Amino acid sequence: MSSNDDKIKSALEIALEKAQKLGALSDEEKYRLKDEELVAAGEALAKRYLNGLPLRDVEAELAGRAEEDRRMISHHLLQHLLDRSDIGHIGRDDNILAAIQHLSGDPGIVQSIRDLLQKYESAIEKAKQENLSALEAAKRNELESMGISGSAVEPAIETSREWMQIQQDLDSHYQEQLEQIKQKCKNLTDSTHTATPPEGRENAIQ
Amino acid sequence: MNLVDNFYAYLWPGETMPEMQTYGNNCNSYLVAKALPEDKHVLVDPGMVTNEARQNCLDRLISEMEKDGIKIGDVGLILNTHAHPDHYGASEAIRKMSGAQVAIGRGDDDFLKLAGGAMAQAIKEMGFEFPELNPDFYLTEGELRLGQDLVARIMLTPGHSQGHIAIYWPDAKVFMGGDLIFHGSTGRVDIPGGSAQSLKESIEQVAQLEIEYLLTGHQYGSPGIIVGQEEIKHNFDLIRRHIFPYL
Repeated sequence: MSSNDDKIKSALEIALEKAQKLGALSDEEKYRLKDEELVAAGEALAKRYLNGLPLRDVEAELAGRAEEDRRMISHHLLQHLLDRSDIGHIGRDDNILAAIQHLSGDPGIVQSIRDLLQKYESAIEKAKQENLSALEAAKRNELESMGISGSAVEPAIETSREWMQIQQDLDSHYQEQLEQIKQKCKNLTDSTHTATPPEGRENAIQ
Repeated sequence: MNLVDNFYAYLWPGETMPEMQTYGNNCNSYLVAKALPEDKHVLVDPGMVTNEARQNCLDRLISEMEKDGIKIGDVGLILNTHAHPDHYGASEAIRKMSGAQVAIGRGDDDFLKLAGGAMAQAIKEMGFEFPELNPDFYLTEGELRLGQDLVARIMLTPGHSQGHIAIYWPDAKVFMGGDLIFHGSTGRVDIPGGSAQSLKESIEQVAQLEIEYLLTGHQYGSPGIIVGQEEIKHNFDLIRRHIFPYL
């Protein structure tokens, strides 16, 4: 056998080695591994929720976990949902808002998001009204210069470079405000879902 | 392949079952040469870049066009009959090659937004991808004027998709119907946005036109082009009798 062959191990061998090493891990290392597992569990649950898993089933899965794990997974689940939310999409997905309200336990957070979304949508509408005619006329002129005209032609303003720039500026402005709300929500759950240090978690890790 | 006057047809192989199995799915493309200033062309339904059978559909279209002396870089406008990837898929790729303007029916814009937004992830997980499409303008019922003197009538023909449009060129009596009607068959109505009732009404509306060349979106084991008013009338009658009852 060559030295390279020595490196080829079966999945079982790798698992056995990991299990052996686990026994030799320090409390900090065990804590880190456990933390990674809980982060992954929170993210996986978030993805399943976004794919249609009902909130009551999410709650049922969390209820099957030890209390400390449950709090941590809820925290990571919420973090993942917040990270996936941006100003252009969050308002279209009531599911995300429902979960944020449920997991944060603070209805004020979701109300702040809804208020912000309303302001954002009003600002978009106002910008459209202010710019629509000018953008449409400019696009018609551009098309006519290319020999394209007629009653069947309706310029697509929302995909025009000019409109996309206006929308991008508004998105940045309101996204910044959304990030502040998201941070507030994260801070809130950070304080209620702080991981227990290694010395207090020995039983949970075993 | 030159059809009549400045009209060209680029049929995707599929007139026979072995062809369909070998080449997989893609739509027929049509072109009106030199319809725009500076001898730019209008391309209708460019089809896909590549399809499920790993055929390089766009490469084939470019090569077939070149046989007619037509360069893809000279396409000035792409008209899409509907927002299904096997029809509009290569639009943005051709825009990059030629700077062409891109258009689609207004009614299919919602479908595109859905396909590119909330539905995109689910579709991707099913193994499909919806190519990007950022139309420069939408097409609604009315007149499309091109260059100095070419006029097309844009017709709203929902049924296969909600915002499906068809293009009728009255001077040449050419009708480009996308997936509304085929030789002895019609477009499917079981895809989201489809409606059997709308499809029947759209077909009856089109049956009133004086058509010499009916250009369909696919061959599907039958000829992609039906020529002659008698043949076309016979096709409408056949569909009314044998397809409508099952829609």
